[in-house]
Amino acid sequence: MADNWSFVFAAYGLAVVVLTAYWRFLVRRERELSEGSQVLREGSGMSEQARHPSP
Amino acid sequence: MRSLLGGVTLAGLVAGLVMGFAIAPREATQGNVQRIMYLHVPSVWVAYLAFAVVLVASIVYLVRRAEAADRLAHASAEVGVLFTGLTIATGSIWGKPTWGTWWTWDARLTTVSILFVMYLGYLLLRGMIEDRERGARFAAVLGIVAAFNIPLVHFSVYWWRTLHQPPSLVKPGPGTMPGIIVTALLVNFAAFTLLYAYFVTRRARVLRLEAEAEA
Repeated sequence: MADNWSFVFAAYGLAVVVLTAYWRFLVRRERELSEGSQVLREGSGMSEQARHPSP
Repeated sequence: MRSLLGGVTLAGLVAGLVMGFAIAPREATQGNVQRIMYLHVPSVWVAYLAFAVVLVASIVYLVRRAEAADRLAHASAEVGVLFTGLTIATGSIWGKPTWGTWWTWDARLTTVSILFVMYLGYLLLRGMIEDRERGARFAAVLGIVAAFNIPLVHFSVYWWRTLHQPPSLVKPGPGTMPGIIVTALLVNFAAFTLLYAYFVTRRARVLRLEAEAEA
């Protein structure tokens, strides 16, 4: 039977694209959320200072 | 810990590729196109594993109302859908040169498609219900019901006359595959299991951060 390498590369290529895209989605989403929560923490820290100004 | 898991997973995937392409021999009947097996079979294994985890985590959630169990079920279902889709696509690519068709309504292909649609529905259900607790409860019930399709997929090749071949590894009686092919397949099983663990860990963390941001 013919080797059909094109089908092998198509299958593996598709897997690489799909799995890399999902990994990138996870990394990006996690970074966005981590930065968001950091901003939120810093924001609440500032308001805390505003409520209790140092003399 | 997570970067360690990521590193080990990457090393496992590279080892799997080396085993599948450089160590395992060319298969006598199908030729090199059989190397798709090292991707296709571990993908469906991860799908089974992912949906089994959804089943267990859903039961735990319904009993204990533990949010971590709900996040695990959600993350595992998403990764399971990803790998089921990959299984269907790579099977179709493998089917064209070996069966002469991209798709046929064979029992295995049909049951795995039903599995894919059911868990896609599970994810859609979660997205549709605004009340988080109610959505988690409904999803847990669906996660338990949908798991009954897993044995149907696995045993479909025995229960019906199918074009799809019966299982090569998990079957009664002695194995028929050469040891080196079994080894290559097992390395890929291990690598894909690690990849599953890595994806689920990251996805569950994202879900936790999303819940915290909404609170």
